[in-house]
Amino acid sequence: MDDIDARYEVPRTADFIRSRAYTRVALQFPDEMLRDAAAVARALRRELAGGGGGGVKLFVMADTAYNSCCVDEVGASHIDAQCVVHYGHACMSPTSNLPAFFVFGKMPLDTNACGRSLLECSRESDKHILVLYGLEYAHAIDDLKAVVAELYKSHSGSVEVQYADVLCSVMSPSSAAEREHDQSDGNTHSNDVSIQSDGVATFVNNCCNVEGSKRKYNLGGLTWSTPIDDNMEDYVYYLVEKAKDANIIGILVGTLGVAGYLHIIEQMKYLIKAAGKKSYTLVMGRPNSAKLANFPECEVFVYVSCAQTALLDSKEFLAPVITPFEAVLAFTRGREWTGEYLLDFKDLITTEKPEISNKTEEARFSFIKGGYVEDSCTEGKEEQSETSLALAEVTEKALSIRNLNNDAVLYQGGANSAIDYLKARSYRGLTGEYEGPAPDSVLTGRTGRAAGYNHETTKSAQ
Amino acid sequence: MVKFTAEELRASMDKKHNIRNMSVIAHVDHGKSTLTDSLVAAAGIISQDVAGDVRMTDTRADEAERGITIKSTGISLHYEMTDESLKRFKGKREGNSYLINLIDSPGHIDFSSEVTAALRITDGALVVVDCIEGVCVQTETVLRQSLGERIKPVLTVNKMDRCFLELQQDGEEAYQAFARVIENVNVTMSPYEDEKLGSCLVAPEKGTVAFSAGLHGWAFTLSSFAKMYVAKFKVDEAKMMERLWGENYYDAATRKWSNAKNTASPTCQRGFVQFCYEPIRRIISTCMNDDKEKLWQMLDKLKVTLKAEDKELTGKKLMKRVMQAWLPASDALLEMIVFHLPSPATAQQYRVENLYEGPLDDPYATAIRNCDPNGPLMVYVSKMIPASDSGRFFAFGRVFSGTVATGNKVRIMGPNFVPGEKKDLYVKTVQRTVIWMGKKQESVADVPCGNTVAMVGLDQFITKNATLTDEKAVDAHPIKAMKFSVSPVVRKSVACKNAAELPKLVEGLKRLSKSDPLVVCTIEESGEHVIAGVGQLHLEICLKDLQDDFMGGTDIIVGPPIITYRETVTTNSSHTVMSKSPNKHNRLYMEARPLDSADLDPQQPTVAKTIDDERIGPKDDIKERGKILSEEFGWDKDLARKIWAFGPDTKGPNMFVDMCKGVQYLSEIKDSVVAGFQWASKEGALAEENMRGVCFELCDVMLHSDSIHRGGGQIIPTSRRAMYAAQLTASPRLMQPMYLVDIQVPQTVAGNVYTVAYNSGGELKEEANRVGTPLANLKFYLPVARSFDFTDKLRAATSGQAFPQCVFDHWKIMPCDPFQAGSDSGKVIADIRKRKGLKDIITPLSEYEDKL
Repeated sequence: MDDIDARYEVPRTADFIRSRAYTRVALQFPDEMLRDAAAVARALRRELAGGGGGGVKLFVMADTAYNSCCVDEVGASHIDAQCVVHYGHACMSPTSNLPAFFVFGKMPLDTNACGRSLLECSRESDKHILVLYGLEYAHAIDDLKAVVAELYKSHSGSVEVQYADVLCSVMSPSSAAEREHDQSDGNTHSNDVSIQSDGVATFVNNCCNVEGSKRKYNLGGLTWSTPIDDNMEDYVYYLVEKAKDANIIGILVGTLGVAGYLHIIEQMKYLIKAAGKKSYTLVMGRPNSAKLANFPECEVFVYVSCAQTALLDSKEFLAPVITPFEAVLAFTRGREWTGEYLLDFKDLITTEKPEISNKTEEARFSFIKGGYVEDSCTEGKEEQSETSLALAEVTEKALSIRNLNNDAVLYQGGANSAIDYLKARSYRGLTGEYEGPAPDSVLTGRTGRAAGYNHETTKSAQ
Repeated sequence: MVKFTAEELRASMDKKHNIRNMSVIAHVDHGKSTLTDSLVAAAGIISQDVAGDVRMTDTRADEAERGITIKSTGISLHYEMTDESLKRFKGKREGNSYLINLIDSPGHIDFSSEVTAALRITDGALVVVDCIEGVCVQTETVLRQSLGERIKPVLTVNKMDRCFLELQQDGEEAYQAFARVIENVNVTMSPYEDEKLGSCLVAPEKGTVAFSAGLHGWAFTLSSFAKMYVAKFKVDEAKMMERLWGENYYDAATRKWSNAKNTASPTCQRGFVQFCYEPIRRIISTCMNDDKEKLWQMLDKLKVTLKAEDKELTGKKLMKRVMQAWLPASDALLEMIVFHLPSPATAQQYRVENLYEGPLDDPYATAIRNCDPNGPLMVYVSKMIPASDSGRFFAFGRVFSGTVATGNKVRIMGPNFVPGEKKDLYVKTVQRTVIWMGKKQESVADVPCGNTVAMVGLDQFITKNATLTDEKAVDAHPIKAMKFSVSPVVRKSVACKNAAELPKLVEGLKRLSKSDPLVVCTIEESGEHVIAGVGQLHLEICLKDLQDDFMGGTDIIVGPPIITYRETVTTNSSHTVMSKSPNKHNRLYMEARPLDSADLDPQQPTVAKTIDDERIGPKDDIKERGKILSEEFGWDKDLARKIWAFGPDTKGPNMFVDMCKGVQYLSEIKDSVVAGFQWASKEGALAEENMRGVCFELCDVMLHSDSIHRGGGQIIPTSRRAMYAAQLTASPRLMQPMYLVDIQVPQTVAGNVYTVAYNSGGELKEEANRVGTPLANLKFYLPVARSFDFTDKLRAATSGQAFPQCVFDHWKIMPCDPFQAGSDSGKVIADIRKRKGLKDIITPLSEYEDKL
C-alpha cells in the first residue's frame, strides 16, 4: 500500500482534489498502469476520506481513443467529471475544457551509475550534453544533478551538462487566463530527440557552431534550450514537396482534447481549399497502414494531434502523413522553409484567415515531377455555378472525366476529388440487372462479431 | 558590315516558299560550327577572314574553351541569290531573296537532346561527316532522329583539306573514301525511309552531297564543277554532273568518256578525279609551294581574281584565300540548301501527321498543312534560351501556322495538358517577339508561320517545351511531345553550403531545368535535390551553369554520382507465398517469375524492352498484345489476356497477371491489388529501387465474405507484402545500367584502350578497322557505375587520342546473390539502403510471408 501511495503520489493528488473541492474526478490510466488502477483508486478514496474530503466520486478511465499521453476530455465529460487526474507519461498538450492533474509515477533510478556514465560520455566526446528523461524519472533529477556536479568537481570536467525541465504538473484549460507556464517561445525540435526510458537519456547535440541565440524546445512535458542548429529535416522537406503535388488531402483527426484542435482543422480546410485542393476530414483513432489504405484517393494526410504523437513514420503507409506545420508550408504559395520546425499546432493557429494572393505571377515548379504544374483552381468552379449554364457545364466536365486514363487517376494521383477517383475504379458494385422484380424474402443474417461470426466459430469447433 | 537589315529579314519571312529552316547535325568534332561560320560570313555577319575560326554559333565561354558546341544556337540569315544560280531551280519561289533559319547543334552524345529540340523546329538538315573518320555513332543517331521527325537531309563531306594536306591521298583513294562515306550514310538511313518524305538517299550527282573544308571556308558540289565544264563539253549541267561521279572515266588522250576504266591508257581517269579532285590538288600544292607565277596563271584561267593585299599572302593563308575566292563554301552550300531542302510550305504538308496530336482534319491541322499565315496560331516551343543578363528566358520555337505578334494573348499548353481540362494550361501575353541575327537579337512586330521565333514573357509558365495557340482556340490539340534518343541516367545530389541559401538553390534548379531540354531536377525521398543528366559531361555543364549562371556563384556541395539500379528476379518463386491481411481474414497467394523465359534468344529484345518501347502497354488492344506476347515471346495466349496491370506508374516494365480460377469477389479487390502492385514495383524489397522484368502471378485468393473486411485498407498493404515475399523467393537480383561506349582511336593505341576498358569491367561488343584510315572503331559495354573515371583513364592511357562516347544501352543483371555476404550486389544494396535511410539489412522473408 505504501508503495502505491508513493509511486502514484496519492497524498499530493488528494490535496489537489480537496483544495479545489472537486466532487467528480476521472482517473485516466494508460494501458501499462491499468493493473494498479483499482489499488490507486482505493488508496485515493481512503486518503480523501481521511482528510475530510468524503463524497468525492472517482472514475477510472482506460483504453484512451487516441493516445494515452493526452488527457481524454471526451471520456471525462461522459461522466461529467470536473477534473482529470492523468497517470503515466503525458504529452502536456493544453486541454480545452477540463483542468488536469498529472501524476507521472516514479521509477527507481540509480543516480550514481547514471552520473558515472554521463561523465564517461562527456569524456569520449567533447560535446555538450543535454539530459532528457522520461517523466517517470523526473523525481530523481535533482539527485542526479547533485551527483553529476559532485563527479565533475572531483574529475575537473568542464563540459557543460544541461537538463530538461518538467513543465508543470497541473494544467487548467487554456481558455483560462492564468496559464501556469509561458509558452510564447515554443519551437519544438523533432527527430533528433531520443527519449530512452531505460535509465537515462542523453541527447548529444550534434551541432557545435554555437550562435548567439538559443532556441527553446519543449516536447513531452520537457522543456530545454539549445543553440540553434541548422540541420535540415530532409525527409520532411521531401514530404512538403510531395504534399504540394497532391490534389486530395485527408485531414486526420488525431485528438479530441488538445486545445484548439477544431480551430486548426478549420484552418487546414480553408488552407487546402485556398490552394485549389480538395480535403476530406477523417476520424480514425490512431492511424495505421490498413486504416489509411481504406482511403486510397487521398494522396497525403495531415495529422492533427498532440505534439508528441504528431510525427508518424509514414514509410509503411500508402500515402505520406504530415503535420499541420508542414501543411502550412506546402499549401501556402511562396512560403519558404526557413529551417524552423513547429510540432505544436497551437503555434500555427492564426485568428485571421490567411490571405490568398489572388493571381500568382509564376506557375508552381514541382520538384517531384521536375517541371511546372498548375493546381486545378476551385475558384473557377465556384464562379461557374452562378451562371445559368451551370448544369450544362458540369455535364460537359463529367463527360471529359470519362475520357481520362483510369490508371492515371487510380495510381498516379490524377483525381481532383474522391468522385473522380471512385468513378475510375474498375469495380462499381453490383450491376442493376436483377432477375425478378419481386424482392427476396427476409432472411436472418449473421450474428456476432466480424472476427468470428457465431456460425463460423461452430464450424471451426467441428 | 551585315548585309541585311531586320526589315529585309522580316519582309522575307512572309515568302514561305523562300524560307529554309535547317539544322546542322553531325558527330562531335566533324566541323559543324566551323562550317556554319562560312554561311554566317556569306550573310555578312562576320568577315570572311575569320570564318572558320570564330565559331560564331558557340556563344558560351565554355564552348569556346572546350572547343565543342554545348547548346544549339539559332541564327536567321538573309541572302540574295543571283538569277543565274537559281536558273535550274524548279521549285516554287518568290523573288531571289532567301531566308535561312539555321540552327547549329552540338555533336557530343551527351547533348543530343539539343539536337532533338533543333530538329523539331526545322525541316531540313545539313549532315556533316568528316571525310576521314566517316560515319560515327552520333552521325547515325542524328540521322535516325532526323528521319523520325521527317527532316530531309543533305550531306556534306567535310574536312577535305585533310585529304590534301594531312593524308596526301591520291585521287582514286580519296574518291573511294568519299564514296564509302556517302554509302554509309545511305545505309544508315535506308531502314528509316518514309514514303511521305520521299527518298532521302543522298547522291553527289543529284547535288545533295557537297564536299567542303570548313576550316578554310571552301566547298563545292558537283554542280559547281559541272558549270565550269558545260561549255567545254557542250553538254547540259545535269548530264555533266552525272559524269563527274561514279563509274565514268575520261581519257584525256582520246577525249572519250567510258563506263569502265581503260587500264591500258594511263591518261584514262575517273571523271571525279580528273575534273574535280586534281584541279583542287594542283591549286593547293601550288599555293603551299608559293609558286605564285604558276598560281596567277591558273587563277586567270579559272577567272578568279584576288584582292591586291591577298596576293601578298603565302602558304596556308594564301591557299585559304585562293580557295575561298574560287570555291566559296557559302555558294555551294547555299545552292544545295535552297535546291534540295524543303521550304516550310512543302515540309509541313507531310510533317503535319508527325506533329499534330489531334484529328488531322480539324482547322489546326489544315492550317499547319497549308502553312497558312492567316490560319489559327500554332507555335511549338522546343527550348528555352537564357537571356544574358536578366535571369529570364526566351521561349524559342517555330510558328507552324498563323502569325505570332507582340502583345498576342496565347494559350500555353504544357506537356501534361489534356484536351478539355485545365491542367497545365495558361493564358499569357507575348511581350515581345524576337529574331536572332547572329549574336544580337532584333525585335520584330510579328512572325508569320514557317519561321523560327523567340518570345519574351512566357518563361514563367513553360518548363521546357509547350504548344502555343490563340487564346480562344479551346479545341486545339497540342503538338506532339519530342522523343529523345537518350535518357538522363547519371545523377548527382546538390546542396548549398549554407542552409539559409536554400531558396537560391531552388530558384537555380528551376532555371536550370528550363535551360536544358533534358536535365531533370527532382527531390529524393531523403530530401536531397538531385540533378539527372545524360552523361558525365552533360551533368558537369549543368552543375557549372547552376552555380555560375543561375545561382550567382553561390557555393554548392555536389554529392557523388548516384546510380539507379533495378530489381529483378531470375527464377520462378520456389513456392507459392501467402500473406494475410491485417485482420487475418483475407489471404493472397502469389508467385513471381521473370518476364522472359530463360531459353529465349539473347539477341531478341526482352519483354521489358518491348514495354519500354511501348510496343506493348496498358492501352493496347488485348488481342494485339496477346499476339505479340504469344508469337514473339512464347506466352500462353490466354495468359496474355489476364494481365491486370503494368507497373510502376501504370506503364513500367513489370506485369501483374491473374491466374486464379473461380474466386469470388475478385473483381472487387482488383484495384486494391493493383495499387499494391504499383507500390511494390516502384519500391522493390531489396533496396526500394524500381523493379524491372518481373511478372507477379496471383495464384489464389481467400476473401472475407463481408465487403467491409476486404476493402483497400486490408488488401493494398497485403498485396504489397505478398509481392515482396514472392520477389524474395524468386532469386532476386540487382540490375545495373550499362553504357555502350564508342571509341575511335588510331590502331596503334587500340591495345591500351582494351586494357583500360577491361579494367573498368567493360566487355567488347565489336571492333572494326576503318578501311583506308589508320583508325579503329571499338565498342564496349561498360557498367555506368565504373564509368566515372573512365574518360580520364582512357585519355591518360592513350595520350589523349581516345575520346569515348557513352550512351545508356541496357540493364544488366548482376549475377551475384545479394544475400551472400560480401557479394558485389550486397554491397551496392547496403549503400543504397544507407543513402535512403533504410534499415541496414534487407527485411527478411518472414516479415512478408505468413503461415497458415
